[in-house]
Amino acid sequence: MASSTRDNDAQRRGTEPLLISRRGFLRGTAGGATAIAVVAVLPAGCSAGYPQAASDGVTLRTLTPKEYAVARAAAEAFLADVPVQPSAVAQGIDAELAIAGDPMRTDMKTVLGLIEHLTLLGGRTRRFTALEPAARLAYLDTWARSRFNLRRGAYQALRGFVVYFAWTHPETRSLTGFAGAWPERFAIPAYPVDYGEIA
Amino acid sequence: VIIQGTDRREPVRDSADVVIVGTGSGGGTLGAYLAERGWAVVMVEAGGFFRAEDFTQREEDAMADFNGRRGLDSTTDNALFLNYAEAVGGCTVHYWGDSIRAPHDRLDQWRTMHGLDWMTPHDLEPHYTAIESELGVHITEEKLFNENNRLVRAGCEALGVHGEAVPTARVDCIGCGWTQFGCAYNRKSSQHITTIPRISKSGGRIYADARAETLLRSPDGRATGIEGHFVDRQTKQPHAAFRIDAPIVVLAGGALGTAEFLLRNTQDRVVGRRFYVNPHYFVWADFGRQIDNVGGIPCAYVVHEWRQVRRDARGEYAGGGYIMLSNHQSPGIAAVMLGGAGKTSTERMRAWRHFGSVMSVIDEDHPGRVFLGDDGIRRTEFRVRGVDALKAVDFLQNASRIFLAAGAREVIIPDVYGTVVRNENDVRTRIGLRSVQPNAQFAAGSHLLGTAPMGTDAADSFAGPTGEAHRIPGLYVADGAALPGSVSVDPSLTIMVAARWIAAGLHERQGRAGS
Repeated sequence: MASSTRDNDAQRRGTEPLLISRRGFLRGTAGGATAIAVVAVLPAGCSAGYPQAASDGVTLRTLTPKEYAVARAAAEAFLADVPVQPSAVAQGIDAELAIAGDPMRTDMKTVLGLIEHLTLLGGRTRRFTALEPAARLAYLDTWARSRFNLRRGAYQALRGFVVYFAWTHPETRSLTGFAGAWPERFAIPAYPVDYGEIA
Repeated sequence: VIIQGTDRREPVRDSADVVIVGTGSGGGTLGAYLAERGWAVVMVEAGGFFRAEDFTQREEDAMADFNGRRGLDSTTDNALFLNYAEAVGGCTVHYWGDSIRAPHDRLDQWRTMHGLDWMTPHDLEPHYTAIESELGVHITEEKLFNENNRLVRAGCEALGVHGEAVPTARVDCIGCGWTQFGCAYNRKSSQHITTIPRISKSGGRIYADARAETLLRSPDGRATGIEGHFVDRQTKQPHAAFRIDAPIVVLAGGALGTAEFLLRNTQDRVVGRRFYVNPHYFVWADFGRQIDNVGGIPCAYVVHEWRQVRRDARGEYAGGGYIMLSNHQSPGIAAVMLGGAGKTSTERMRAWRHFGSVMSVIDEDHPGRVFLGDDGIRRTEFRVRGVDALKAVDFLQNASRIFLAAGAREVIIPDVYGTVVRNENDVRTRIGLRSVQPNAQFAAGSHLLGTAPMGTDAADSFAGPTGEAHRIPGLYVADGAALPGSVSVDPSLTIMVAARWIAAGLHERQGRAGS
């Protein structure tokens, strides 16, 4: 039940491309510094160019209209036949990042900017939000399978946010069969604990 | 008394025989030992104080309320999610209660390599016995095995693989399944319902929502107390200041919290240089039928077969270096872990109740590091590399074999390549290093250790064998940071035992401090 000789050899030779990548992800790494610099010179995206937040009636807390639009478009791509509105997912991301602060906020805003504008890396000439949902998913898959850790890390971060906010939504219980947490369903008293004084 | 710091708007100045930073496995154990022997104990905890009625057992609430950085912390390259808690009770609020003693070979290693002569099974026995008694540690009852645990056990038995029921820290568990979101019934023996009430009723003062920031020192360099700020429980924004004067300062804020405090207050080059996480990879198996994978307790069964590394005649890695724990997860977290996008993701979540799962606890050879970024924010680096990557692959293969032997239709390796295995040939040909490259799949670390380790060599350790810092008299470390490396099993019980040993030494040498 040991690992194959092929894997041992590959590891020794270092021929697995992603294992030899030393680039990191976002702040604190060379690749991340570059990514942030790239995003910094990109247009922030005014509400006229990205009307999604306004049309959804959303007052954004930390995301820009462009970042909201990217998060919403990513939710449209990642979530197929899931009974949660992509706008609800994007709003959840905005609300969470407003509270979470750095480094998560800056990292995630950078990811959203990169996904929107680096479509050429995935062989597309239009921005991410301008692609059809199926094309968006194919484009995101190029990030997922990239030989560069930075791009895979960006994909995992974006995907993680989207699916987490979608599948914690109670509407999805009809798909998963999740009955809900016990405190929602049963009145079972906790064992008493004497903490002494609580001030 | 327990003080809710989130409500404090006026500065606080306090003093004690000992101030303890952190209230989890290490801090709670050490604090209770000393408080019940007459020491004046003050504890500060960066997280909030939660009771059973606060635990909704909804994952989104738990993540936001008491998971470190709201459950969003990761290594700088995002490849490993870092799972830790910030709350009164520390990581024991969300731990699974697995209470496994440190293997003798690991204690041997720590004695040999780090000079920790007291880490013998004989010397530790009274501390293990006392803590196991206090926490009600016992072998998990059969009634708390859910179907996932039974399937993992069946697969192991079919293959002749060694596994066993987990010793667990619970009393009268009702098996709701959501222990990692805080026990809503006070049945799991977390520190916040065991040692913390004892400290409080012995006259100790526990400040919640209190972030320690500055180590106070006398002109001759001795630790004399700490300063910090109370913080808003949700936003973590500081408000009123506090100062605690004490001749003994004990750091027990976990491998991240203790390292961050020391990085901000010392120039010690050992701090954060080694950071162990026991990388967790996850395998999911579709049994094509609804199984009860979320009742009982997540981990009633542990697979020990591959804990030690095996080498061939040439000394090359030939397998092992990890244990496996049965695993179950709530829908949101499972969706993240399961991988896939679009229809693939949705189909997997539709089958969520059909899935069994196990996770790895890899005994890594290559630790990462903790450091402060140029922006002053604490960061972590960790790369699963070299032989550790081979261990991860070996885990994925052997976990797949266990589930296939238990009757799974197919096993999902949740990588970005959509790897699925249905037979032994698939196991050998489809699972390889590309699946464990950073960010090729969700991976995590929750056994955070070793960032301010004990040892006799002052050039290679932060604290001596007593837990006292080599270079700062009066400053002690008594948490996961103090352990010199991976325990190779769940470390919580070993952290408690080490903290109790350090407390006993303090009490024996000094009696009641200040008296």
